[in-house]
Amino acid sequence: MSEPFFTETQRDALQEISNLAMGMAATGLSELLDAFIELSVPRVRSVAIGEAAQALREMTGLDGAVTAVRQSFRSGIKGEALVICRSGEIADLAVLARGPGGESPHETMSEIELVFDIANVVAGACVSSILDQLGATPVFSPPGLIGGGMSLDEVFRPDALTWDMALLIEVNFSLEDQNFRVHLVMLMAQESIRIVRDALDTLLGET
Amino acid sequence: MSDPVGKALDCSLSELVVERVGLGIFVVDRDMNVQMWNRFMHEHSGLSAQQVIGRSLFDSFPDLPREWLTRKVKSVFLLGSFAFSSWEQRPYLFRFEHDRPITGGVDHMQQNCTFMPLTRGREVVAVCVTIADATDVSIVQREREEALAKLREYANHDGLTGITNRRYFEAQLRDEFARWQRQGGELSILLFDLDHFKKINDEFGHVAGDAVLRTTAQRVSAVIRPGNTFGRFGGEEFALLLPGTTIDEAMLVAEKVRLTIGAEPVQVDGVRVPVTASCGVAAARAQNDDYVSLVNDVDAALYTAKQTGRNRTHIATTKPSLAQIIPAARPAP
Repeated sequence: MSEPFFTETQRDALQEISNLAMGMAATGLSELLDAFIELSVPRVRSVAIGEAAQALREMTGLDGAVTAVRQSFRSGIKGEALVICRSGEIADLAVLARGPGGESPHETMSEIELVFDIANVVAGACVSSILDQLGATPVFSPPGLIGGGMSLDEVFRPDALTWDMALLIEVNFSLEDQNFRVHLVMLMAQESIRIVRDALDTLLGET
Repeated sequence: MSDPVGKALDCSLSELVVERVGLGIFVVDRDMNVQMWNRFMHEHSGLSAQQVIGRSLFDSFPDLPREWLTRKVKSVFLLGSFAFSSWEQRPYLFRFEHDRPITGGVDHMQQNCTFMPLTRGREVVAVCVTIADATDVSIVQREREEALAKLREYANHDGLTGITNRRYFEAQLRDEFARWQRQGGELSILLFDLDHFKKINDEFGHVAGDAVLRTTAQRVSAVIRPGNTFGRFGGEEFALLLPGTTIDEAMLVAEKVRLTIGAEPVQVDGVRVPVTASCGVAAARAQNDDYVSLVNDVDAALYTAKQTGRNRTHIATTKPSLAQIIPAARPAP
């Protein structure tokens, strides 16, 4: 039942595209934040609905209280991006929102605005970059808070989900000399997976 | 030349839509120079397209949050993705009037902003900003929050006297007791009861009884520290929580409360109803495993005050624990 959606070639191609796209996203983020971004190797998995929460735990390695923000993206391929970090590390994120002159954002941004801002920047960079590789130009919805100080299991509530299978792409990054780590999980359900597969075939055909 | 239909036909339909839509739409380039400015922006800002296009947005609007806005736009250019701003975190970007001057209650139009990349090929050539009026939503939300706050208030307060109800008092007591267990220090509690309250009801009627309860709550509220939790514990029973207070200090508070209640008769419809109260005092001590046992201590003290003649204060006696009694009761072998 593992990886039922993709052939090995397709899966390798998707991994390759994710690596490339996340590298480009990190370059953009580095320039925006004026800091060196350390990025993990993206993890790509397709999971059944019942395994989603477990997969999320395994991919992020997070336990304890987390803060999660969601954002929808839509093009031919549509889905949701989750940005998750440890609730205790949110204050540290402030360094990510420094203005162009390096000034502190504290006077001008509330904590929740800061979280939304970081989540949006991370999700936007990574999702745009991957979809760009697949030939799609997404439209994003505004970020919304799933919850602060919640457990990771509360992020996916199986009873509220309407899909059977989903494609998850996880990547996490941190800043040089900083402790915190921000996790991005891109989630695409059934019909989008088919479009991803077609896009992969097109790319594979070109090479 | 000024034929409006002819002019309209020169424009594409999408241009006409942009012009008429009830949404602020404008476009800036990399240097924050305005490239496009629709009618909504003109009407609300008072500056026309001719006045702002080709100039830096900050020249036309020096009040804008410069660093913040520059960074938002920069992120869109760099990452090729969207950026957002919600009225819930940042009520507005531009100081626009809203169209609810009478029913509003907010100072300016509440705004949701979206920053969209405009791309040619893979290059972001400009950023389009849309401003949506969220004033209505914000007002509905504020009203809902006010209603919720009121409900919470009702849920925690006693309807007759307006002071804290028992449920809320016990929750506070539980929290204070837990803090005392963790951090030590002092924690005292008063429990007092109006003397012969049934007789007041029988003699003067329930309306008078209710007035006595309300007056008692008011009189006591006026002499205690504002931060102290004061609640109606039962019918004619009241409780006062005294964190950081020794038993001796609590005794002084109890006497002040008791004397305040009985200082003068309560006036109800020209009738003078004399009132006195009995009071129990207890402080948390090591033998108290939980807050309920502290309530039992103070309840016992109040019972003694009643038994020994009423209109008086009694301190909970520090009974030696069983562990202390048993060795003494058994002679050493």
